[in-house]
Amino acid sequence: MAEKESFFKHSLKVGDRCQGCTTCMRSCPTGAIRIRGGKAVVNDNKCVDCGQCMKVCPHKAIYIQQDDFALIQNYEYRVCLVPATFIGQFDEQYRTKEIYSCLKKLGFTHIYEVEHEVEYIVDLYNQYMDRHPETRTFISPYCPAVIRLIQVRFPSLVDNVIKVRAPFELASRIIIRRLMDEGAARESIGVFYVTPCAAKIAAVRNPVSGKETCISGVINMDFLYNKVQLLLHKSDNDAQPINHALTSRDVLWPLAGGEACHFRGSQYAVDGLQNVLNFLEKLEDEAVDAEGLVEMRICDQGCVGGVLATNNRFVARKRMEYRARLFDRLNRSKTRYGRYNDPEFCKWIDEQMEIPEIKPRSIYKLDDNFAEAFKRAERMKKIEKALPGVNCSACGAPSCAALAEDIVRGDAKMDTCIFINRHSQASEDAIRSIWGDRVKTKEINKENKEDK
Amino acid sequence: MHYTFEIERGNFADAGQASSSVKRTLKQLGVAPPNIKRTVVALFEAEINAIAHAYGGTIDVDIDDGKIVMVVADQGPGIPNLDLAMQEGWSTASPQVREMGYGAGMGLPNIKKNTDELKIETEVGVGTTVTMTVYLA
Repeated sequence: MAEKESFFKHSLKVGDRCQGCTTCMRSCPTGAIRIRGGKAVVNDNKCVDCGQCMKVCPHKAIYIQQDDFALIQNYEYRVCLVPATFIGQFDEQYRTKEIYSCLKKLGFTHIYEVEHEVEYIVDLYNQYMDRHPETRTFISPYCPAVIRLIQVRFPSLVDNVIKVRAPFELASRIIIRRLMDEGAARESIGVFYVTPCAAKIAAVRNPVSGKETCISGVINMDFLYNKVQLLLHKSDNDAQPINHALTSRDVLWPLAGGEACHFRGSQYAVDGLQNVLNFLEKLEDEAVDAEGLVEMRICDQGCVGGVLATNNRFVARKRMEYRARLFDRLNRSKTRYGRYNDPEFCKWIDEQMEIPEIKPRSIYKLDDNFAEAFKRAERMKKIEKALPGVNCSACGAPSCAALAEDIVRGDAKMDTCIFINRHSQASEDAIRSIWGDRVKTKEINKENKEDK
Repeated sequence: MHYTFEIERGNFADAGQASSSVKRTLKQLGVAPPNIKRTVVALFEAEINAIAHAYGGTIDVDIDDGKIVMVVADQGPGIPNLDLAMQEGWSTASPQVREMGYGAGMGLPNIKKNTDELKIETEVGVGTTVTMTVYLA
């Protein structure tokens, strides 16, 4: 599949354990996967890093490439930028500060929460919405997989996305500033982000904003979970508890509904891949009239459903809600970073947090030239009719429609369909006994083959 | 390219299949998103009209290299006063239809707003044929 050049970079990789079983290919929301040489191959321009392939893979063949943990030792100040989803992975018996102390024992010098600055993020969303009174529906930019999905499948909605970067971008800048205020040199500070999913890694390495990121490295949540869990289980765990500053609203932010509830007017909270797809489809058709903020999370239940979150999403949700209630009872308040009172600093932050443009990257276009695209679309429709329509995937494409598209794009041939390529009477009989009249006559297929 | 779809009376739940299918094709052709949106919104409105008011019908869509022509033909009560029906907010929709969130009287005006050409042929007691054209380039 020769593509021009890929504008998306991904950390999802297909490993040697892949059996080419087609499970991932059939569940991919953008049709990015084909089987070639007996293994799953991902088209970089179509993949949106939703992690669905990894979730469904029965062979655990798909993995997320992370940075080498030893990298943290390159810095004097080693900040672990940890999302609240992480503490949701641990049983309530462990106090948050115990979990954080284990992170310190693993080599970090500072722990800072991704959601520490969400209050300011809410301000940024509100300011953006005020600046765009002509827009009726605002889609949250929080889930990077949703942004990419909109780019490739729903390009007419790119202008509905709030053009504000993710909370980890703000939190990383604030903790760096805080440390520099205390006298640290910029180059001595390394910020390591703990990710619950593939999309957020992609957002760090290849941000849609095109702007630079302050993250020095990304660590997979399951990797860190295992390390912390081991320490917690050791009876001689002498890690010193450290304080943290999360409030209940911060803890709930990564959960489905945790973002939308902060905004005035009507809000929608949509979670789960299929729900997101359906809602975007309806928004595009104006079949739903959503006024206000639409929170969208690719993962079921929000970030606790991330592919690198180790524990059951419903259990993790319950644990986070428990901790939120606890923090409420403790009436915890945090001191707002002093520089927020400086207009110059806020101006700088606002610039840093802005996404200049979200480009549409439609994956459907059959050709840049309308006349050629028209010819291909017509041919595709005809080929689709000739194919059996049973979506067996034996051709290495997820469906007959996808094969038809591959054929008109020149990436596959009619003969790759095993129904069409049946030569012996025995295979003819066997196929007919199963599929009956759905198998088209060879004459139709011949006609299509000669078509081009 | 030609497409045909059936409309079933009162079946709001299945509305939008025609517009989804047309949308997909227009995306394949690389039509600019605002023109796709206009087309899809108009088609969806016309389909809802036929579902709400008529006794069933058909949608015929023709795409050539410059334009898309969508014909929504129903067997229905017809529109007694077309001028009134074209006014925003005017509706004869039943209370049941309004309860489902439709019938705000924005259907035909919205179609007019989103299409380049609109022709409505209607005969009371026989049916209505709405022909919508959108120039794609």
